[in-house]
Amino acid sequence: MAEIPEHLLKRAQAARENAETNQPTSDQAPSETIEADSAVAVIEEEIPETDERAEEILNQILEGLGETVLTSHIAPGRGLWIRVSSDNWRQTAEFLKDELDCKFFDWLSVIDWMPSPYGRELETEQDIEPEQDTNEPEQMEWGYTGGDTRFQLICRLYSISNAAGIMIKADLDDQSPRVLSLIPVYPGANWHEREAREMFGVTFDEHPDLRNIYLPGDFEGHPLRKDYPLLSRRMKPWPGIVDVEAMPGEEK
Amino acid sequence: MSTTTENEQLAYIASQAADARVNVEVETDEGMTLNLGPQHPATHGTLRIIAKLDGEKVVTAEPIMGYMHRGYEKLTEVRTYPQVTTLINRIDWLGSFANEVPFILAAEQLMEVEAPPRAQWIRTILFELSRIANVCLFLGDMAVQVGATTPVFYAFRDREFVLNQIERVTGGRFHPNFDRIGGLKDDLPKGWIEETRGALERMKSFCDEMEELVLGNEIFQARTRNIGVIPGDVALSYGLSGANLRASGVDWDIRRDANVGLVYDQVDWKVWTHPDGDSFARFWVRLQETREACNIIDQLLGSIPSGPIMAKVPRIIKVPAGEAYVATENPLGEMGYYVVSKGDLTPFRVKIRSASFSNMSITPWILKDVFVPDIISILASLYFILGDIDR
Amino acid sequence: MRGEKEYLNGLKSSSYKGKHMGLVESGKMPKSLTKLLNMSRRYSMWVYQWGLACCAIEMGAAFASPRYDVMRLGVIPLPASPRQADFLVVSGTVTDKMAPAVRRLWEQMPDPKYVISMGSCANCGGPYWDSYSVTKGVDQIIPVDVYVPGCPPRPEALLEGIVLLQERIMNEDMAERWRGDPIVVE
Ligand code: SF4
Repeated sequence: MAEIPEHLLKRAQAARENAETNQPTSDQAPSETIEADSAVAVIEEEIPETDERAEEILNQILEGLGETVLTSHIAPGRGLWIRVSSDNWRQTAEFLKDELDCKFFDWLSVIDWMPSPYGRELETEQDIEPEQDTNEPEQMEWGYTGGDTRFQLICRLYSISNAAGIMIKADLDDQSPRVLSLIPVYPGANWHEREAREMFGVTFDEHPDLRNIYLPGDFEGHPLRKDYPLLSRRMKPWPGIVDVEAMPGEEK
Repeated sequence: MSTTTENEQLAYIASQAADARVNVEVETDEGMTLNLGPQHPATHGTLRIIAKLDGEKVVTAEPIMGYMHRGYEKLTEVRTYPQVTTLINRIDWLGSFANEVPFILAAEQLMEVEAPPRAQWIRTILFELSRIANVCLFLGDMAVQVGATTPVFYAFRDREFVLNQIERVTGGRFHPNFDRIGGLKDDLPKGWIEETRGALERMKSFCDEMEELVLGNEIFQARTRNIGVIPGDVALSYGLSGANLRASGVDWDIRRDANVGLVYDQVDWKVWTHPDGDSFARFWVRLQETREACNIIDQLLGSIPSGPIMAKVPRIIKVPAGEAYVATENPLGEMGYYVVSKGDLTPFRVKIRSASFSNMSITPWILKDVFVPDIISILASLYFILGDIDR
Repeated sequence: MRGEKEYLNGLKSSSYKGKHMGLVESGKMPKSLTKLLNMSRRYSMWVYQWGLACCAIEMGAAFASPRYDVMRLGVIPLPASPRQADFLVVSGTVTDKMAPAVRRLWEQMPDPKYVISMGSCANCGGPYWDSYSVTKGVDQIIPVDVYVPGCPPRPEALLEGIVLLQERIMNEDMAERWRGDPIVVE
């Protein structure tokens, strides 16, 4: 190995001494040290309490769609969510396109709300095997706007004139999730729906071509469903949370 | 030792290979089928296009993707938040830093932290630098696709100057993995601002060069003007974004109209649009945007505020339950992350809205009734990156 | 995947091993002549660039940019077809969908042929080691001579890989071509 130059050694020595003097005493938690070190003002984000624009748009939607909007949610400054039933999926999109000028088709996808039977516990060495004997599944929790079923369709439309993005959600049937395709309203939905079919097994009626878009034709299963196992992780244990670099002032 | 005969092996290989014929032409009664790719010099990446031809005219053209599908959305579910950025760097591999930003912003929204101003400034600068590094290659590559080889060498040459600057801050030529929830990993090194100014000069002269060399070129214009015209409303309904949308005359830029967390409101800049919607317009808009990016960085470099680069965040990051969608105007168009968190160390679900996927979904529409050589120039002008399509 | 095991078994025993096509490969050449041939082969190599993902850009930087200039090493990039190429650079993520095409392309190359695997993805799956759609290493499909690690490796690293490959060619005895271990760039 080559000699380490003198000045680098000196610098390393200085850095080490520096770290030693700054070391937290044992009764101090590391987080407190960070606080003490960076004695600078932390900017508090001002979160607006209400969002008038979003409420206005929501009112327009409620006026036009009435009962079909099951629930809605406004996160101030962040967006607007509405949930409709899957029977009204296409009508909702049509309404938003015609009445609210949502011409821009942003994206469409599915969320599988079932808690993953594998590996939620990151501290363990290995992903947890699904327990065969306990039949009781973990409770499902839904995000904004709630939900009833495992699969939830989600789509974002954007209105450039109103500068507002709207998320629409719809619950899908657990056993045979299917819904009307959005292609007549937005031709761009084509590939997004193919992707959703492939990844979650949702059928889109009236879609002209539901072949696989990514995976080889003979691929089995729907990879983004929560119960699809990542086989490589079964073979090789997950190392848990490992700090590659030690935090400053911390012994490795 | 082996349990199979050689014939069986060969049959297996043949059956597999038949699935991925490289440039085969099949002639049938209805016309000719032309297969471009998956590895083809003109598809920059591993995209395969099957075109049914009638003479020189394309009857239908169908892109087949998935040769680069790496399963990001599934993998993000088994990575902690800081680990996710390592992964998503690699979606749009030419402008990697820009990929991290929307995800970090979405996580920050859920955690209700905000990066200090200095971090926001540096983020914006790096964001625009990665735009230059990305689009620069497009400018060269587009010329290659219509038959001029030299510009790509210029692009690679001048791109190095930008990459150098990114490397000096982040330590990586690309895939920097530099953005953190609540700020940035490090501050700018000494003397960086001046050097960056130099690199920007370089880039500006590169843009001039491209303008003279390519844009005004008669052959280039003949190959791109009125080729692949996309009207604005079609572009919107297919979800086209970024320069492709603005080249169709739609004046919409997330940086100006729906900016989150970056400091574009602090600078004086312009959104470029072009009414034509053809391949030429897309090239033109991108060229102007590269200039504009230089302009933005120039202004930001002069006004970086002092202060910390990291807000106070806990050591082990757990993001509170909630859903957030943040999109930014990436070099390729709108890139957004829909993050669903359940309060764990890992995201519950991340939907990646990548620009190229939507941009490319228009190809079956646009490649109808064009001539075979136009396939190449249209695809090049739509500008996609395979990792961004397939994810 | 269907028949995967048979396929991999087949790779171990397939026909390219130990097939003597002429004087050179059977090792009955005079030493000095071998050396002369090797030297000329070493500095006149066409490379077929199989750019798959991010690494392809770094490969492009190495091959097409004046800063790295691969031609000074006696390597000519951009052949018209794999049938003209002497070695192949697989750079980037090989997915299960792509794998047959990689294999097919490699089969089209004339012997003697070499493979450089560039980047963690091509070496072993890289950041996608647990993905459902990524092949964990291109060496499951084709034999690899030089592995260049990194994510992405810098263009210099690829150049070093090429130099190592040249050294290997220089010291090569054709008959023993397939018996050596792959070189790893450090
Ligand atoms: S090794 Fe890294 S840089 Fe190379 S293709 Fe894989 S992810 Fe991209």
